Amino acid sequence: MKRSLCVLGLSVGLVLTVRAEPLSVSKNVDMRQALDDITLAATNHELVLVKMQPIDHALEKRGFENPHIRILFIGSESAVRWAEVAEPKLLNLLPLRLTLFQKDGRMTVISDDFEPWLREFPDAPAHLMIRAWQEELKATLDDFVKQ
Amino acid sequence: MRKQVRLFILLLVCLGAAHAGDPEPMLITTTAQGKTMDQAVLALGQAITDHNYSFVRQQAIDSRLVPYAQEVRSVRLVYFCNFARMDRVLRLDPRATQMMPCRVTLVETPTGVDLIAVNPAWVSQNMPVLHDECQELKRDYQSILEEASL
Repeated sequence: MKRSLCVLGLSVGLVLTVRAEPLSVSKNVDMRQALDDITLAATNHELVLVKMQPIDHALEKRGFENPHIRILFIGSESAVRWAEVAEPKLLNLLPLRLTLFQKDGRMTVISDDFEPWLREFPDAPAHLMIRAWQEELKATLDDFVKQ
Repeated sequence: MRKQVRLFILLLVCLGAAHAGDPEPMLITTTAQGKTMDQAVLALGQAITDHNYSFVRQQAIDSRLVPYAQEVRSVRLVYFCNFARMDRVLRLDPRATQMMPCRVTLVETPTGVDLIAVNPAWVSQNMPVLHDECQELKRDYQSILEEASL
């Protein structure tokens, strides 16, 4: 009985602490090379680099510690048009965001967490649209690793 | 043993209730009745400054995806930030970039302009370490949107 309770307790604990994680990849490159590689990977998947937000420089310039982090916004016209027609609330997710952060010589790129969006929009077509964007980003990140 | 089981079930119920809490809405929305897009952007810029944030940039929703002349005029994005807050939350969790820079989406309607922001407290549901900061950020968003819509 005690054993069952322990197992049950452990399972519940795991369920309560499980956190959906964003897409994430990493490789050994510096920031400049990473930006080149991710831009090329995005182009390969018909995505456009809309804006690079150098928050590392922005913070350092204002006297804060350099976090070695940059944010990229990437998108496609088709995604915008699709959202405009199918679910305008999803325009708030566009352009898609990627975060690059450098630690100990290793560059990690993460996406936003799509799980709250998928939960919020459980039905088609919005759900499928978010899934499609997630897949596009995954393919782009896989390509980035191979560059 | 029965007492232990009861206590355990009670604990589960309490944990479940604490975990559920009040669900956060996904969006924070206000409407600037009777304003044009330019007027709404101007009012938003002023509200951003009044709340100790810095304007970062504004752009069309399809900026750089289509030639400038073909950009949609009825949907604009305004970005802004507070660098001290940015520094603070990045130290807590680098995934805080999901809320950076702060953003308001402005959508022109026949009667005015809707100002829409993704609720940071909704985004941080899976990031408990950022919960307090995101609640504060949510309150700032609400104040900024309220002021901009007056």
